[in-house]
Amino acid sequence: MSPLATIRQRWVSFVGTFVTLALGVALVASTLLVFLSATPAVPERLAGTAVLVRAGGTPWSPDALRDLTVRLAAVPGVTAVVPDHAFYAQLVVGGHPVGRPGVRDPQGHGWSVAGLAPYPLLDGRAPERDGELVVGRSAGLAPGAAVTVLTAAGPVPYTVTGTVDGPGLYVADAVAARHAGRVPLLGIRTAHVDLPAITAAVAGAGEVLSGDARSALEDDAVSGTREIGEQVLVAMVLLAVFSTVFVVASTFAFATNQRRREFGLLRAVGATPRQIRRAVYGEALGVGALAAAVGVLVGALAAPPLGTVLVDVGFEPPGFVTRVPAWPLGVAYVVGLAVAVLGAGSAARRAGAVGPVEALREATVDTRPMTRARWLCGGAATVLGAVLAVATPAAENEDLMLLSMLAAMALMVAMTLLAPVVIPPVVRALTWPLGRLAGATGTLARESSLTAVRRTASIAAPVIVTVGFAALILGQVATVSSAYRSRGTSAVAHESVVRPEGTPGLSDAVLAALPAGRSSAYTPTEVYVSGRSRVAAGVDPAAFRPATSSGSLADFGAPDTVVVVGGPDAAPPGVGDRLPVTFADGRTVTLRVVAVLDSSDEAELFVPRATVRAHDPSALTPLAYVDGVPLAELRATVAGLGATAVRGVDYESDSSARDDVLVRIFVLALIGLSVGYTGIAVANTLVMATAGRRRDFAVLRLSGGTVGQVLRSVAAESAMVVGIGAALGLAVAVAALLGVRAGLAQALGAPVALLVPWGTVGAVVAGCLALAVGASVLPARLALRRRAVALAGDRE
Amino acid sequence: MTITQTHQAEAVRLAEVRRTFGTGDNAVAALDGVTLAFPTGTFTAVMGPSGSGKTTLLHCAAGLDRPTGGSVVVAGTDLGPLTEHALTLLRREAVGFVFQSFNLVSALTAEQNVALPLRLAGRRPDRARVLAGLAEVGLADRAGHRPSELSGGQQQRVAIARALVTRPAVLFADEPTGALDTGTSREVLGLLRATADRHGQTVIMVTHDPVAAAYADRVVFLADGRVADVLPALSAEAIATRMARLEA
Repeated sequence: MSPLATIRQRWVSFVGTFVTLALGVALVASTLLVFLSATPAVPERLAGTAVLVRAGGTPWSPDALRDLTVRLAAVPGVTAVVPDHAFYAQLVVGGHPVGRPGVRDPQGHGWSVAGLAPYPLLDGRAPERDGELVVGRSAGLAPGAAVTVLTAAGPVPYTVTGTVDGPGLYVADAVAARHAGRVPLLGIRTAHVDLPAITAAVAGAGEVLSGDARSALEDDAVSGTREIGEQVLVAMVLLAVFSTVFVVASTFAFATNQRRREFGLLRAVGATPRQIRRAVYGEALGVGALAAAVGVLVGALAAPPLGTVLVDVGFEPPGFVTRVPAWPLGVAYVVGLAVAVLGAGSAARRAGAVGPVEALREATVDTRPMTRARWLCGGAATVLGAVLAVATPAAENEDLMLLSMLAAMALMVAMTLLAPVVIPPVVRALTWPLGRLAGATGTLARESSLTAVRRTASIAAPVIVTVGFAALILGQVATVSSAYRSRGTSAVAHESVVRPEGTPGLSDAVLAALPAGRSSAYTPTEVYVSGRSRVAAGVDPAAFRPATSSGSLADFGAPDTVVVVGGPDAAPPGVGDRLPVTFADGRTVTLRVVAVLDSSDEAELFVPRATVRAHDPSALTPLAYVDGVPLAELRATVAGLGATAVRGVDYESDSSARDDVLVRIFVLALIGLSVGYTGIAVANTLVMATAGRRRDFAVLRLSGGTVGQVLRSVAAESAMVVGIGAALGLAVAVAALLGVRAGLAQALGAPVALLVPWGTVGAVVAGCLALAVGASVLPARLALRRRAVALAGDRE
Repeated sequence: MTITQTHQAEAVRLAEVRRTFGTGDNAVAALDGVTLAFPTGTFTAVMGPSGSGKTTLLHCAAGLDRPTGGSVVVAGTDLGPLTEHALTLLRREAVGFVFQSFNLVSALTAEQNVALPLRLAGRRPDRARVLAGLAEVGLADRAGHRPSELSGGQQQRVAIARALVTRPAVLFADEPTGALDTGTSREVLGLLRATADRHGQTVIMVTHDPVAAAYADRVVFLADGRVADVLPALSAEAIATRMARLEA
């Protein structure tokens, strides 16, 4: 009994499995390749330095830094200890800031840091005094050029003295030290690496990084982007594997059911149940081996373009390159085979249970659509889905989505398994009026979908999954973003918002240009109070007027004054308390508490902006709120400073525009994927089913049915099944979304509206409908082209 | 192994076989205490009106279905205590089937279909033996054809060759000519008669066609799940008369 012969003969029933598996394996392979290529890398600007020391916990104080430098310089072999005085700096070209400064690579550095990459000087000379600058070759500037550099203070004129073979802006070390104010990192240049000696010299005052561990110094923006990308890829792989198993299982189950007679015949001529199971597994492996090979090939070819696309839409950092090693392809191949065998498992068991007498039965009526295993698994999946849906509201924000997704998956599996029980009552209820009417179309559609329960279930199942996933994902995104948007009250409370344009934040020059008394802004800086990290914000004391619970803001303004937020701390500081605060530059200053606030969305501590500047000169201000100034005037004021102004009511949506784009791409990719998959399943099942019904059609024709009547009843049946699948899918999605809503409402402490974009969900349903009707009517039309008498004589 | 089986005096023996379908008030007795012996080397036709239990008798005698009561012995083995697996192995060794609808595996050629029981038994099919089997049914030149390329009569002859390839103790045929025209029916029946005459093959055939039954050595008449009559070889007319009396 050769599986290959069967596959050759029954290729129609394997097309769906083949395409699904090949697609799934291609997706897993390409995703795996992209995923593996997206590992953290040592930042290029530090690549040439074998050992680096990073401050751990609180920043180094100037004294601690001096001592550490002396200790490290004394280690044999160490030729230099280079402090990374990194500060925010951006070239302004034609009035617009260029480049992408990040938190860990703010672009501006002391000249000695160029030696850590190393970036050799290409042209000109090193910067030596104020106003001198070395730029990367890619900036296209020659020594002698006059440029403007945007810093946290504002635009500063510089003269280019040289160019290096690498990115970044380099100033004299002393200038950099003044701009940066702090040193988060030391680069150690050594003749030979003596790690134990260096570790001993550091003596716990920092974290020694060497080799691949240096990738921990990667830019936050790069790792953040990669994390988003990884989430998307993981979700896609999860969905792909789930859908592939699902589709393979349902098409195999259906194909097997259609072949009961064949299996009965084999049993009658002496095949044991085990031999039948082996034959089905053999077919699955045969299809799987071919499909996985095609999938791996497609995946390897698709991975580099996929990487490019992910970079373009912002899921992977620029400079990302997809590598194609062989072993992930091997993994994807094995996954494909495993999925094929897994999907064929229940079908194989069912086929093995076919008795020899089945070969002698003529009718294709499903006598026993529900097996005990089906009852058990269906019940278990229902319970699991219900438990997950009930548990969803208690989950943390990130787990909320995952849990609701898992709940929906479990409920979908349950619906599919219990479909033979769930569907007939639904069909009867929905089509009761049809049976009363005289028309043959309705009666035929109703009766045949009731008789062939398994066929109906096989077609409804993928529709349940598609519509369920589409409604769930769309509903999640709409509900969550509307819930969070309604929270953004601080911007809405103001007429205008000044926000960065092409820069990571606003410089002091922007704040200075805003009309005094009509604007407010918070400049965040990280501080440490008794060893714990806190968010402090620098404010203009004259414009800072929140409601206080104790103390007076009239006393706020001296460099040593602080306003604190009375949180749930066991012993919150009170007015008049002395609070030792360690700033970004490592200096500890004792501040006087002058007032206590009940709560604030902005920060935990407030200090005069001058205090922030004194300790963290590179800090940027994310936003400024302005009232009483026309928008156009405001825009003109901040023009050329890397900022623009928008209306307060527009701000929230504007700021999350990039996120929205990412989310939309993500949602479209997921929905496209699941619609594509289930489309294959629907089409394949219908083509198989219709091909197997040629005799029924012939009987209808011989009984006086016109071609039109037969086709109409086929179309009506498909439409009805899609309608039922869509209704059940929506039920699953709404159940899971109710959990999400409850969880969000709990997290936000406010009622949340359940939003489902019905237009898009409707489009998905319409797509399923078109696909199902097309996939059933076309093969039926082809079958009807032959003469009815010839069809009736057809044998299996 | 098959050789010792063929030395049994009776290829199949049924004792007080009962088979009921359904439970409680819906219970229907398809077989109601049938005791029959089928001597080795004989060709028996089983006849009876619709619903008389002849197909159930065939299924029970062949080990395709398990009786509710009584015992079935095939080639000296009592089927009662056998597991499904053991039953399958016994069927594979000792029993051949021919069905009304020819039931060939459409994916396989005539030769592959004939070799199928040997493959299922894990034996390397002896090609000469398979081709000889096909030659026996007059299809030596059709070995490479698939069922869809064969006529109904040819398909049924392939099915007979497949049923005989393991040299079974008994060959069961369920309405083997039901789907054939008169001419091809005669060929197929002649073939069954010839296997009994030439190779001493035990044949048990269920039919409702008196002409087909006339090819047998003896005819068993069933009515309401009981043996109504066992007669030696008769003419088609005599059988038809007997049938008409049973149906009346």
